[in-house]
Amino acid sequence: ADDAGGIDLEAYADVWVFVEVHDGDVMAVSWELLEEGKKLTAKTGEDLVALVIGEDLDAVVREALERGADRVLVADDPVFEPYRADPYGAQFRAMVEERKPSIVLIGGTHTGRDFAGRVAVPTHAGLTADVTEIDVDDDGLLQARRPAFGGDILATILCEEHRPQMATVRPGVFEPGEPDLDGDFATVDEAITAVDVVVDESETISEVLERNVGDTTDITEADRIVAVGAGIEGDLEPAIDLAEALGAELVASRAAVDEGWVDGSRQVGQTGKTVRPELYVALGISGAIQHVEGMNKSGTVIAINTDPNAPIFEHADYGIVGDFADVCPRLAKSLRERDLAEVMP
Amino acid sequence: MTWTIVVGVKQVPDAKEVGIDPDTGRLDRANAPAVMNPPDRHALEAALSIKDVVDARVVAITMGPPMATPVLEEAVAMGCDDAVLITDRAFAGSDTWPTSLTLASAADTLGADVVVCGEETTDSSTGQVPPGIAAHNGWAQLTYVEDLEPRPDEDRLVAVRDVEGGYERVAAELPVVVAVAYGEFDPRPAGLHRKLYAENDFEPIEWTAADLGIEDEVGLDVSPTSVGGMETVDPVDRRGEVVDDVDELASRLAEVIA
Ligand SMILES: Cc1cc2nc3c(=O)[nH]c(=O)nc-3n(C[C@H](O)[C@H](O)[C@H](O)COP(=O)(O)OP(=O)(O)OC[C@H]3O[C@@H](n4cnc5c(N)ncnc54)[C@H](O)[C@@H]3O)c2cc1C
Ligand SMILES: Cc1cc2nc3c(=O)[nH]c(=O)nc-3n(C[C@H](O)[C@H](O)[C@H](O)COP(=O)(O)OP(=O)(O)OC[C@H]3O[C@@H](n4cnc5c(N)ncnc54)[C@H](O)[C@@H]3O)c2cc1C
Repeated sequence: ADDAGGIDLEAYADVWVFVEVHDGDVMAVSWELLEEGKKLTAKTGEDLVALVIGEDLDAVVREALERGADRVLVADDPVFEPYRADPYGAQFRAMVEERKPSIVLIGGTHTGRDFAGRVAVPTHAGLTADVTEIDVDDDGLLQARRPAFGGDILATILCEEHRPQMATVRPGVFEPGEPDLDGDFATVDEAITAVDVVVDESETISEVLERNVGDTTDITEADRIVAVGAGIEGDLEPAIDLAEALGAELVASRAAVDEGWVDGSRQVGQTGKTVRPELYVALGISGAIQHVEGMNKSGTVIAINTDPNAPIFEHADYGIVGDFADVCPRLAKSLRERDLAEVMP
Repeated sequence: MTWTIVVGVKQVPDAKEVGIDPDTGRLDRANAPAVMNPPDRHALEAALSIKDVVDARVVAITMGPPMATPVLEEAVAMGCDDAVLITDRAFAGSDTWPTSLTLASAADTLGADVVVCGEETTDSSTGQVPPGIAAHNGWAQLTYVEDLEPRPDEDRLVAVRDVEGGYERVAAELPVVVAVAYGEFDPRPAGLHRKLYAENDFEPIEWTAADLGIEDEVGLDVSPTSVGGMETVDPVDRRGEVVDDVDELASRLAEVIA
């Protein structure tokens, strides 16, 4: 069925970035990838193409151009809202087969990781998962690096004889660029292609009965973070108090998310987001490798844990062995007194 | 109608036991004991929970070397009706493309209505295998699943999916591939009786690539990706200073945010 190894690599060109939109809202990772894509096309001399799938996408298409896409491919149809794997996969696959991109970058969100395989499998593309570093060599070969074995290893994955070279990229790892709001988009119409929609509602094999997008806060941009783990046992009050005193965003370990104390959009780690704030305060978090992987690029790490042997202390700059419920209010109080002292002459 | 539920289980090195080789300074995975990928225990529970309410037969499958048999025994001890070991030298070097093809082909051969997998593995953790199985067979898929509502009368499976902050309820037509969100579906303990049977009397079915008719579509040659190199990640250098009292911590904190 598939001509493994026998494809014409020359027939494939350009770097595609998938722009993930839910109900008009763009996921932050899409703009991170567009910025990173610019670095790749600067080396390969190819076009940077944004792919926008969804419904009522004019504003998103415009923003993709403002943020540096050379061209935008749009599939605008009610069948794509809300997201489902089968229509997205079929549409994306058709676009890849017709237009032959060399590199395709997709945000490693639940959505991106859900449908990427439905494109890579039928096109026999290489699909690298959860990439945290990307580069391209002189021959246009993607060097995609990804953590494995819980983050102990960084593996370089190559796709030498197949195209496209697809990758899902972990959210929060790269910086988004600034949109160019005064740019000259006179040629805008030429840059936008409305593609044929190949999916019909009658052929879909899944149906969204109910959708609650919940909390979609982007924790990856926060400068200060207070993180809670299983050790807080549902008692969020002291953590929120400290976060407020610090002007910090609240995040959580997977264990705290699974307990339902904090929303999944705020999970840090291997299966959550990567954050790199100036300050990361970990409360009742043991420091499992899958958690540390998502926060070890933070500036200063502070750990509060009752267990002196908790691994988190090895990943912290400052730590204290103690009960978070006892330490947090005292830290918050001292921070507030300090703020007060600053405004007083 | 009886549902056939196929569960994918993989053997991985025990993440808790992977040490550093004192001579080379490299990770010593070879000596770590092999265990069932922890998220797959949750997949087994999800499959068995469907069987609790729907007339069903649950079959565990693994693609791996014969020494992976203990993960199948564990699955049978938990309550699976049968298990298949898919083993062949031809599989060596398979990336997620042929791996999911092999599992897709086995699921099809078994007449699966539902395939249940873990969210991802603790070794290479791509999370690509479940959508890959669905894609190879053109089946529906439900990933990041937190809850399941089987609808045998409609030939559908309804799932609550985690959507990073919220949730959605999605109905999928059978056959469908499910990837269970790790942490949901607390695995049930194996009954003593089942455990004794699994360990002493049970023999898994064994299939090769040729048995599945895919001998030319597996292994290194058809794998689009390859591992170009691996580096151990140096831990980030931290001060590791543990202070004695809260006031001291407060002043450190004040310095940091000054
Ligand atoms: C495939 C896979 C992916 C994963 N992805 C992620 C991920 O993305 N993010 C993630 O975080 N985890 C992830 N995990 C889970 C990870 O392995 C750990 O299980 C998890 O991080 C543990 O969370 P925790 O530190 O909050 O809880 P625990 O490990 O239970 O630690 C709780 C800590 O709280 C301390 N404590 C108890 N009481 C108090 C108190 N009163 N005051 C202060 N401290 C107290 C305890 O001493 C303990 O150290 C993943 C696991 C797998 C298998
Ligand atoms: C360091 C490293 C990095 C890699 N990176 C990539 C990459 O980026 N892209 C790529 O295509 N390949 C990659 N591979 C190859 C890939 O690891 C193998 O194909 C592997 O067999 C399947 O992937 P996984 O463990 O990530 O499965 P996942 O997709 O994480 O597994 C999810 C679930 O699928 C089921 N499942 C998975 N494997 C089996 C099995 N053998 N038997 C039964 N059920 C199973 C289980 O239920 C499991 O919980 C990499 C390999 C290594 C060593």
